[in-house]
Amino acid sequence: MLKLNKKISVFAAIAISFSVSAVAGEKDVKVQAPKVRAIDGATEYKVEKGVYAGVYRVNTQTDKIKKFGYGKKATANEIKVSDIDVRYDWQGLPDGKGTPAKGEELYTKNCVMCHGEFGAGGKGYPVLAGGQGSLKNQLIDPASGDEPPVRTIGSYWPYASTLFWYVKTGMPFPHPMSLTNDDVYSIVAYLLSLNDIQVGGEDLDDDTVLDKKKLMTVVMPNVNGFYPKVNGKNGAQNVKKFLSKASNYGTQTVRCMKNCKPGEVVKIKHTLDDGIKPPLSEKRDLPKVKAGGAANNKYAKLFEANCKACHGNKAIAPVPGDKEAWAPRIKQGKETLYKHALKGFQGMPPRGGTNLPDADIKGIIDFMVSKSK
Amino acid sequence: MKQFTNDTTADRRGFLKNVAASVVAAGALVPAGLSAKDDPALMKEPEWGKKLGKPVDADLYGMPSPYEHNVQRRVHELLSSGDMYASVAMSPVQDIEGIITPNGLFFNRAHGGVAIVDPNEYRLIIHGLVEKPLVLTLEQLKRYPSESRIHFIECPANGSTGWRAPQFDTLQFMKGMMSQAEWTGVKLSTLLKDVGVKPTAKWVLAEGSDDSHMGRTIPIEKILDDAMLVWAQNGEALRPEQGYPVRLLVPGWEGNLNVKWIKRLEFGDKPWHAKEETSKYTMLTPTGKAVQFFWPMEVNSVITRPCPDKPWTDLKKGDVVEIQGLAWSGEGTIKGVDISFDGGKNWTEANLKGLVLPKAWTRFSYIYKWDGKPIVLSSRAYDDAGFVQPTITQEISKMGVEGIYHRNAIVSWEVKANGEVHNVHVRDYKKEKENIQKMQKGAKNA
Repeated sequence: MLKLNKKISVFAAIAISFSVSAVAGEKDVKVQAPKVRAIDGATEYKVEKGVYAGVYRVNTQTDKIKKFGYGKKATANEIKVSDIDVRYDWQGLPDGKGTPAKGEELYTKNCVMCHGEFGAGGKGYPVLAGGQGSLKNQLIDPASGDEPPVRTIGSYWPYASTLFWYVKTGMPFPHPMSLTNDDVYSIVAYLLSLNDIQVGGEDLDDDTVLDKKKLMTVVMPNVNGFYPKVNGKNGAQNVKKFLSKASNYGTQTVRCMKNCKPGEVVKIKHTLDDGIKPPLSEKRDLPKVKAGGAANNKYAKLFEANCKACHGNKAIAPVPGDKEAWAPRIKQGKETLYKHALKGFQGMPPRGGTNLPDADIKGIIDFMVSKSK
Repeated sequence: MKQFTNDTTADRRGFLKNVAASVVAAGALVPAGLSAKDDPALMKEPEWGKKLGKPVDADLYGMPSPYEHNVQRRVHELLSSGDMYASVAMSPVQDIEGIITPNGLFFNRAHGGVAIVDPNEYRLIIHGLVEKPLVLTLEQLKRYPSESRIHFIECPANGSTGWRAPQFDTLQFMKGMMSQAEWTGVKLSTLLKDVGVKPTAKWVLAEGSDDSHMGRTIPIEKILDDAMLVWAQNGEALRPEQGYPVRLLVPGWEGNLNVKWIKRLEFGDKPWHAKEETSKYTMLTPTGKAVQFFWPMEVNSVITRPCPDKPWTDLKKGDVVEIQGLAWSGEGTIKGVDISFDGGKNWTEANLKGLVLPKAWTRFSYIYKWDGKPIVLSSRAYDDAGFVQPTITQEISKMGVEGIYHRNAIVSWEVKANGEVHNVHVRDYKKEKENIQKMQKGAKNA
């Protein structure tokens, strides 16, 4: 092996200097693997004589310092409020309780506008339910009409802890960290029930109370659907073993130089280029001066912060500036628009799911209407 | 594709031709001694040479020439989750020179918008299986001895629209979810001297303070090897899009692991299984099982000139031209790049140029005499970890087409006789289907 590599490097030098094709007439050239691999299967680099990886100088005085002593010791209270995660073994799961019925109520108020009725998704936001039995599907030929896999909480997610953590710290999308622990329990109960996931061997009825003890018994259907195994004593080492072997994931270790058979040339049949937001102009010219001013408006800023997650996507809600969508709404009169915004209307939750005062909601409506006339 | 191109070479040629024609047509107006062969741009004193420029205090934070305003990040509705908050703005890879991405053009991936963090209120908290849980202000963090490293950051979904078929005819949208900077900060192995990690600690949760509260699990081995907390990119404070004031840098690993707006590091004895290591950032294979905790970005490369955004439409038969591109690997240092003119049937070695650094973009170059005939150009990188970029069919035969992440198959450009460049795949669909079906057959559907 070593011999072969030596030969290659000599020939490679010739190939470079004369730009002749292929490496010295070899068909397949094996690439040399490193002596030591890091935890991710990568080459491991060290500091040698004050130089890291052979390229970066480092100040090795740092090695001799035992402590710098910066900062302050974290208090128990600081750790308690900061530690918001829920690990897969349920470390960090707070106390609380909720029901699917209450969860549905909260879902309708906070979630349905993006995730659809019964978690059916659409509008670009993730589907939350269904997809069981679809994970082996491969849509290699989009024209075939085959179904792609559908990855949802029920079909794909290995742990219910992730669901609790995600809802608690990341949802509702425009204003996370606003739900109480009981609210989160209810939403989790509702989403588990949508996915027909049992709790303690029983289906979740509308009024089944889900609490900490019960939630910790939930085993997700696809818990064994992932590899390499990372839980347990040798977790990281299992990943290292997997990543060190290129054939586990389709990467190669040999360079084919001559008469390789990669297949046929396939051109673009279905282009996505149409959806690209084009540049301001196509030439190397001076930018056009845009009429501005609106961005500094207080209500424009409130709109950005509170409403745009839905009202920036015309599939969900009318976007300011979309005259066609706004014309029939403006026709109803401002009082109706104020009422719908304050009390909620169809997909629009009361106050857009915010706690803004009436005056701000009305100001935002005025801003949206003024942009859309 | 032409409508999105930033390259104005064609326009400029057209312009010169028109000017020359108008000079000829208006022959009587050509001053004595000026011929139609003279470039009028050179024959007159330009406007900017006849007056004062802007005063030096006009732009106290400098911007690119207004003429470069088209070189910018761009977005696509399909690449977002229905909005522009959990979304990505793609970097114009085709316009980047050398190996450093200017800060304003660094790709911008956020999961809940770009947070604007008050540096005075910024705190980092480190706790869990440690001797001394610690709270640091920004100034305290910056007091630690710093190091600077050049590394790329790449979203593992970069190129994911190419799994089933070629769909974009622009490099910016095919590979724009990556950028490179010189990062400055403190190595965690240095900072953790003040914390005292307990021997029972095997994993670290890194968590951001933004809307998404992004959390990811990292093994202790990587944390103590080359991970850093960085506060600067390319000599200035991190941009908000890159996690101002502090982000985690995990060299060579999935972009998502480089947690931005970082607030908390917790040491534990188990991995966390966060949302982005279960529901997303896992690769579903044809067996119905998914690969999890796939940390590094594999060896990869792409030819940036020519590319669909930078065609050869201004070249003519017999012209000598530099073919160049970027190669990178999160698993080591680029050892070499092969280049093919026949869609990957036969390969020859290109040259590396400039800095060749670990876990970093590396430039490759090949001087080529184009005979004006159509060719299919491909590049294939290999690294010092012993890994070689796969063909599309080699990769799919193991991973299928539904994995979304970690696609590093060879990229090919069809160069037409007129110099247009298009994204094509070179692949063996039949073989891919057979291999996928074989894998499906041996497995139970979940």
